[in-house]
Parts: sequence; structure tokens; C-alpha cells
Amino acid sequence: MQPILRLQDVSKVYPNGTAAVQEANLEVGEGELISFVGPSGCGKSTIFRMAAGLSAPTAGKIEVLGTTPEEARRSNGISFVFQEATLMPWSSVRDNVALPLKLRQAPRKVQDEEAERALELVGLQDYAKALPRQLSGGMRMRVSIARALIANPRILLMDEPFGALDEITRQTLQEELLSIWRRNPGMTVLFVTHNAFEAVYLSNRILVMTPRPGRISREIAVDVPYPRGDRFRTGPEFGRFVGLVNESLKH
Amino acid sequence: MNPVFSNLLSRIGPPLIAFVLFVGAWQAVVAIAELPTYLLPKPSDIVAAAADNWTHLLGSVSTTLIETILGFLLSVIGGVLGAILLASSKIVERSIYPYAIVLQTIPIVAVAPIIVIWFGAGIRSIVTIAFLIGFCPMLSNTLIGLNSTDKNLNNLFTLYNATKWQTMWRLRIPAALPYIVGGLKISCSLCVIGAIVGEYVAGVGGGQGGLGYAITYAAMRIQTPYLFACGLMASILGIAFYQIVNGLSRKWLGSWHESEMRGDHD
Repeated sequence: MQPILRLQDVSKVYPNGTAAVQEANLEVGEGELISFVGPSGCGKSTIFRMAAGLSAPTAGKIEVLGTTPEEARRSNGISFVFQEATLMPWSSVRDNVALPLKLRQAPRKVQDEEAERALELVGLQDYAKALPRQLSGGMRMRVSIARALIANPRILLMDEPFGALDEITRQTLQEELLSIWRRNPGMTVLFVTHNAFEAVYLSNRILVMTPRPGRISREIAVDVPYPRGDRFRTGPEFGRFVGLVNESLKH
Repeated sequence: MNPVFSNLLSRIGPPLIAFVLFVGAWQAVVAIAELPTYLLPKPSDIVAAAADNWTHLLGSVSTTLIETILGFLLSVIGGVLGAILLASSKIVERSIYPYAIVLQTIPIVAVAPIIVIWFGAGIRSIVTIAFLIGFCPMLSNTLIGLNSTDKNLNNLFTLYNATKWQTMWRLRIPAALPYIVGGLKISCSLCVIGAIVGEYVAGVGGGQGGLGYAITYAAMRIQTPYLFACGLMASILGIAFYQIVNGLSRKWLGSWHESEMRGDHD
């Protein structure tokens, strides 16, 4: 089966000479949930930006959905969730969520219906008319996720989306993400985090990256079936995986 | 006491008392020192001069008002459209923006006579001068706003294949609104000054002269109380303009931008 995302010897050196990524190789299959873990500045976000076609590699080749990242982007196959909620403060929650469809010039009725559906997925159907500033940090992030989902992406790139949230909100959103992912079997999720606990809980595979220039130094398969729940989070197996990730980060 | 009334009183009370004290002291000092009216008129002389020449004064205010509005509208339209044009291409911006800065640094009184030669004495020259003085802050503020869009939002628009026009209309212009409003606030006061300076240079030109013309005329005839009345009306005009723009700013930004949000937001 053809991989959804393939990186072949991908390197990225910025014009100021900073080597962000060095010879990264990776294959991602359809429906996976993969976490990238590594210290700050190890090139995780750079890989995401390149996969989304927002930045070009200086060496190597990236294939997304069997084509170039730019082409995949043009076919609306990719969605992105940033570390910040990145909402338009002047627009209502509904208009923020409907943005990808608005830019595709979908009929207003379709925009509204799909926004309603996406907001229901993240439990914010009652806040459609609110402005972003009227929401909490966790709710804003939910809006951001709803906006990414409305585009029906085949690849969802999440660049440390829960990093700025408190622990309780973070765990709630982790559950919501897993539930959404499991209801969309064709959707592949790539997730950046600093947090080993988060990576182990969410992913079926964890990629550990080295400090700059970032290389993928280790791959850890978390072969625990979903749904995982609190029993997994508090069990000995969870601790073993977290230990493995932490140990890999130290090396 | 009614809380609304008490709140209003506490807000306008102190400046009102300061004003009454200032005007009273002025009236008393000039009367006691017996200063000649042509040197420093009493506030009562200024009010009397304004009342005696009321129709003239009102005519001058309405002329300056029309010139200011026209100059202001032109500078807003020109400044915003010019900034959109410059912001849509880095090459265009690099080629043209330096000249816009040069335009900003030329003193308006130095170019005013040339404008009168080109457009003739009268409203066309005056509006052009008001436009020129209000245009630059509109252009540079809007341009800064259009170029300060959040990087991630920009990336998001690219990711969802937005056209250049969609990004401009749905993202860059709304995001630049606080800067545009800042430009409006500077430009509206400058346009009043521009119109009055224009009237100094370009005079009447057929119709009723504006406040600048009335000021020149009163100064030549040493009608100091009327001169004060004209100056006062010019500043009231400037304040009124500023307050209108302030109201627009609250309407456009009140719900989402820090600069205009009041009360218990997070």
C-alpha cells in the first residue's frame, strides 16, 4: 500500500545557515496517529511546514498523498492545527470554523451546515455566534480543531496544539481527539508534542528527534489497542513506554 | 441621586469646573488690568464678536467643514487604496513607498502655492491641500497594518488555497483595521489644519470664505475678538471630527480589539 506521507533524506537549512532538519526518513501509513517528540528547535515544526507545502526542503524528497505537498494542499487533503488557536478575532466562532469552505466558495448553506457539524464534534454547538475572545483557551483550541476537521482532511497536522493548556483541559482534548480520529478511520494524524505522557497516550507510533539539526533518532511503536482510557494512563505499561521515550530523549 | 446622573457628573464635573474657573480668571484679569481688546479680548468680547458676526462665522465654518470632509474622504480612499496596492506586491512597495515618504516630509506650506497655480484659487486647491496633508498618515498606517498580519493566520490562508484577493479582503484588511483607525484619527485632525492652511493660501475663490480666510481677514483688520472666535470654532471643528472618528473606531473595533474594549473581558 502506498504511504500517505513519505520523507526521503529530507534536510532543511534556513537562509541564515541554521540546519533545522538533517536527512529525515519516514513513511506514514493511512489512519496512523504518530507523535513527534523532541527538544525545542529540533525541527519538528519544520517537518510539518514542509509536509504542508508551506516551506520547501533544501534536500531530499517529500511525497504527500502520492504527490507533492503543494499538490496535496491544493486538493484540500491537508489540515493544520497550530500551537496557538490562530482564530480571526473579528469573526464569530461559526465563521472561523467555516473558513476553509468559505475560501473554497462553498454555498453559504453548506458552510453553515458543515460548521454546525464540526462544532458538534468538539462540543461547541452552543457557541457558534460567540467571538473568540469570549471563549477560554481550551474552547478556542476546540474551535481551531473544528476548523481543521471541516475541510475533511486526509492528513491532520497538529503542531503542539495542547501545549499552552492546563492539564485537565489537555486530557479532555486528548480524549476528544482520539474519539474524532477513531470515527474517521481514513484520517492520519501527525502530532508534535514536548510531552512524553501525551505522546504515549495518543499515538500508535512515536518518533523521537535529536536536537538541532533534527534527525529521527528512534521509533517507538505503542502497540496498545484503542480505546485506551484511564486504565492505560495509570497502568505499568504506560510508565514503561514513557520511560522508553524519556530515555531516548536523553540520548 | 440617580446613578447615571451621578456618574455623568463625576465624569464631566471636574473639567467643567476647571473651565469655568479658567474663563472667569481670564475675564477678571483682563478687566482689572484694563488690557486693550485688540491685544487680549475678554471671553465676553469673544462671545459678543461671535454673536455679532454669527451668519458670517457659521458660513465660514460650513465652508471649512465641506472642504475638510472632501479632503478627508479623498485622503482615506487614496491612502487605503494606495496601501492595498503597495501591500499586494513587494516590488511595487519598494519602488513607490520611498516617494510617499518624501511627500510626507515636504512642508505643505512649501507646495501650497504650486497647488494654487495648478488648480487655481478656491475650493479645488484647498481640498487638494487638505487631501495631501491627510493622505500620508492614512497610507503609512494602513500599509503597516496590512503588513502586520499574524504569520500563522497567513499560513492558514495559504494552506486552504486562498487567492491573493481572498487573503487581502478576508484577512489582511480586517487585521489592519486597528491601524487604519489609527490613521483616521491622525488624518481627521490634520485635514482640518490642511483646509485652514489651504484657505490662507488659496483664499475664497468665488464662494464664501472658510475659517482660514476669516482668520486672515480679521487679523488684517485687527479684529482680535473675532479672530479668537474663529480660532475657537476651528478647534471645535477639529474636536468634533475626532469624536466622530472615535465613535466609528468603537463601532468597528469595540467587540474584538483591545484598544476599544472596555469592562470585564478576559
